[in-house]
Amino acid sequence: MNLVEGLLTQIQGLSSTASDVLSLQNVLKQADESLHAESTRLLPFLDQLDPSKHSLGYLYFLEACTAGPVTTESASSFVLVIARFISSCVAEQIRLAPDKFISVCKRFKDQVLLLEEPLRGVAPMLTAVRKLQSSTEHLTTLHPEFLLLCLLAKCYKTGLSILEEDIFEVDQPRDLYLYCYYGGMICIGQKCFRKALELLHNVVTAPMSTINAIAVEAYKKYILVSLIHHGQLSTSLPKYASGVAQRNLKSLCLSYIELANSYNNGKIADLETYVQANMEKFGSDNNLGLVKQVVSSIYKRNIQRLTQTYLTLSLQDIANTVQLNSPKEAEMHVLQMIQDGEIYATINQKDGMVRFLEDPELYKTCEMIEHIDLSIQRLMTLSKKLTVMDELISCDPLYLGKAGRERQRFDFDDFDSVPQRFNI
Amino acid sequence: MASSSSSGLTFKLHPLVIVNISDHYTRVKSQLSLPPSLTSTSSAATSNNNNNNSNGGENNQNPPPRVYGCVIGVQRGRTVEIFNSFELIYDPSTRSLDRSFLEKKQELYKKVFPHFYVLGWYSTGSDAQESDMHFHKALMDINESPLYVLLNPAINPAQKDLPVTIYESELHVIDGVPQLIFVRSSYLIETVEAERISVDHVAHLKPSGGSAATQLAAQLTGIHSAIKMLNSRIRVLHQYLVGMQKGDIPCESSVLRQVSSLLRRLPAIESEKFQDDFLMEYNDTLLITYLAMFTNCSSTMNELVDKFNTTYDRHSRRGGRTAFI
Repeated sequence: MNLVEGLLTQIQGLSSTASDVLSLQNVLKQADESLHAESTRLLPFLDQLDPSKHSLGYLYFLEACTAGPVTTESASSFVLVIARFISSCVAEQIRLAPDKFISVCKRFKDQVLLLEEPLRGVAPMLTAVRKLQSSTEHLTTLHPEFLLLCLLAKCYKTGLSILEEDIFEVDQPRDLYLYCYYGGMICIGQKCFRKALELLHNVVTAPMSTINAIAVEAYKKYILVSLIHHGQLSTSLPKYASGVAQRNLKSLCLSYIELANSYNNGKIADLETYVQANMEKFGSDNNLGLVKQVVSSIYKRNIQRLTQTYLTLSLQDIANTVQLNSPKEAEMHVLQMIQDGEIYATINQKDGMVRFLEDPELYKTCEMIEHIDLSIQRLMTLSKKLTVMDELISCDPLYLGKAGRERQRFDFDDFDSVPQRFNI
Repeated sequence: MASSSSSGLTFKLHPLVIVNISDHYTRVKSQLSLPPSLTSTSSAATSNNNNNNSNGGENNQNPPPRVYGCVIGVQRGRTVEIFNSFELIYDPSTRSLDRSFLEKKQELYKKVFPHFYVLGWYSTGSDAQESDMHFHKALMDINESPLYVLLNPAINPAQKDLPVTIYESELHVIDGVPQLIFVRSSYLIETVEAERISVDHVAHLKPSGGSAATQLAAQLTGIHSAIKMLNSRIRVLHQYLVGMQKGDIPCESSVLRQVSSLLRRLPAIESEKFQDDFLMEYNDTLLITYLAMFTNCSSTMNELVDKFNTTYDRHSRRGGRTAFI
């Protein structure tokens, strides 16, 4: 106990300037073991520390307190304490001990889930994420935890605000997979299928040395969202997908690929029988909702195909081609699609004719100028980052070794700038 | 040291000599600034190299190295034509010249170009120095009146002429003591067809400074600066009018009349159709720029992906070059 009180006084004394905080950190690191030994009795001491001034010390104490197993009674008290800490702590002090902060927040998430109130954890976790990340382009381990809480609490809009940011730095690959997977699910919930497709695509094509379950699940959802959004699935993964993914993913998601094949044929009856046959499989993957959306999207796809063939068509003909029951249903579908901006058409209700139009965007407006200008700016920053990365990897000895080795020299005139052996 | 020569000789300098001298100098300079730790085997190569390159930059604070060599050519009558050059090892502190190397080189060049002989020597620097006279005298046993070609490697963007000077030596009486001093001579640049091609090539490789490369860019820059000036002048007028409105500046009707007539002349066209066409053309240009940027970015991304796959994919497709038959 004397040790603990000694630590308390040190924390209170050494928390004012940056250099003091660094020396405090060394002290705390050495005292960490003994703190963990006293973990059950530390809770009352927390009141003597102020989280906004003594954030680092408070963090160490808190981490030691919560180290034990979580029970429901302790959970409710800890949740309050941790939430208050997260909202008032100082970001610079927290970043000195990021792993402790991450483990405290993870336990916070577990406790919130144990109490079955994920909504309580959403706002504090958002603050925690913002305080931990060094810039908005940095992905921390807390990002996927936050998205998980948003998913379970069904507040998708808060999750979307984090997903808007571009990520350029990642701490751990597993963070990236989980982040993009959960992010994809949130976007599906909000019906932003374009962004969902982008995020799921990131998981599927991320560099991985062995196949992992997150990628497999993400690929299943990717197939379904691709069918809903684009109406087709590209059969091969792009060349920047890792070799492991390219070889193994398809064999692990066979029933979904079959679904995509029968979707491409355009026959609704076949699709529905296939879905009925594999209902439990889709259900066990929790993808039933998506599959139903796929089935309803096939009507849209067929109507869109009609726009490429016909200039005008009667509602009755549409209903027949697309295998809808009545012209009234066809009119409803077409109206919905016009409202969503998926086709451009006018419905003449007097004679039941639909006239398909061209895209009315003339690209003459000032808003379009701003839009293009913004895109150009974004492209320029991206291009600069890519050039930097390209230069870095060109100097990487691992790359140079492999590039030099794989060459085959055929005659002496084939002068190449990369030598066969590269000894630095 | 540099008065004009009175020997009456015409000097013709070939660009090959200039390229050779500058190449020699650049090579020596860049080899000197190579950081020593690049020779050690370190695995975390790139970050270390980046750090060391910044250290190497500090080495350039030392005075740049001087390089030495011989120039060879032909003398026909009063015309001296300098065709080629080769490098020599000379240490100015010990004044030791590698004679055997010089003789070997002379022999070799005599075999290929029987008409050429050593006309003089070259060095780099901003001005001829006293110590150069020793080298000059050392060469006098090969050629009675050697030439000294001096290249100034400092890059001066304002300078229009070539930073090359040719010095001759003359015996002048200074303070009653006859001394050899350097006198500057004028020269012409003479090229053969082959040299013209290589000079053109070199000129295009060199990164052009800030000046606009093409005529279009020059014209657009002109228009841009004109519009900027117009904008700033109108802003001044605006401030003046605001001040007048607030009452800080006394009201002057003549100035006001002039301003109003100017303002009426300003907007050239202001109609619906003009706006339409203008915006359409503006959008088209932006779209083309966007497309260009896109292509550029995609090509960088493609290269990056290829390199990444080569490095990290264990069973990547064999990317060796195909047979070139």
